[in-house]
Amino acid sequence: MAVAFAVLAAWLLVTGIGVVASRRPIYNALFLVANMLGLAVVFLILNAQFLFAAQIIVYAGAVMVLFVFIIALLNPESDVTVGRSRSEWLLGGLSGAVFAALLIVLLANRDLGGRPGPFTPEVINHAGNVQSTGTALYTTFLLPVEVTSVLLLVAAVGAVYLAMRKPR
Amino acid sequence: MGVPAYYFLWLSGVLFTLGAIGVLIRRNPLVIFMCIELMLNAVNLAFAAISRYLNSLDGVAFAFLVITVSAAEVVVGIAIIVQVYRAGRAMDVDEMDLMKE
Repeated sequence: MAVAFAVLAAWLLVTGIGVVASRRPIYNALFLVANMLGLAVVFLILNAQFLFAAQIIVYAGAVMVLFVFIIALLNPESDVTVGRSRSEWLLGGLSGAVFAALLIVLLANRDLGGRPGPFTPEVINHAGNVQSTGTALYTTFLLPVEVTSVLLLVAAVGAVYLAMRKPR
Repeated sequence: MGVPAYYFLWLSGVLFTLGAIGVLIRRNPLVIFMCIELMLNAVNLAFAAISRYLNSLDGVAFAFLVITVSAAEVVVGIAIIVQVYRAGRAMDVDEMDLMKE
């Protein structure tokens, strides 16, 4: 398990850097697909099989197809950021390093607080992962699920409206 | 589980930071969107890890909601980007300053 985690962590870091630093948008998108697939496998390690499936279908499937499609449609030329202003890269990297250091100090070697709940992996796998997650979603989290369904509807309507509008 | 919980949280924090750096230094709105997706993914990782180590399903349920919200966000954001492109403007967030006026 530790070896698998180390490999996946290295994979996620390399592809994450690729997402941020690649010059051409299509490479950014492909690195992001690789990153999301790696993250899906991490979900598998964390015994969240349904989340693994949803991650692959929704993120690596639907969302990234949308990104790649738009890149193919618009064909944006490579980013002009590099070489335009070195100080922005420096400032961005510096603030990022400070932020990461703060996060790591905050999380350093500390156990999670809070009382453990009843859903050990044995309980979840005995009932079935999809069944347990679905029960949680449609009982405890019923209201948030309904609200996000309305949000999806509004987003679809808004996208159609934006696509129909003539640009000024 | 051989791996301590905070390893997952560190990984999540580093990925989130990478996404934040990307949002700060990139100019192409599509790439900035991808970096935002990276940050949302990092948060999902933290949710799933805490959920696993506290034997709870709440984190997984929240991760589902985050996935849904990010799908909605991508749809609207890309519609706006296509609209900007159709208006003949440069794909550069520094040039998109109509809201300032």
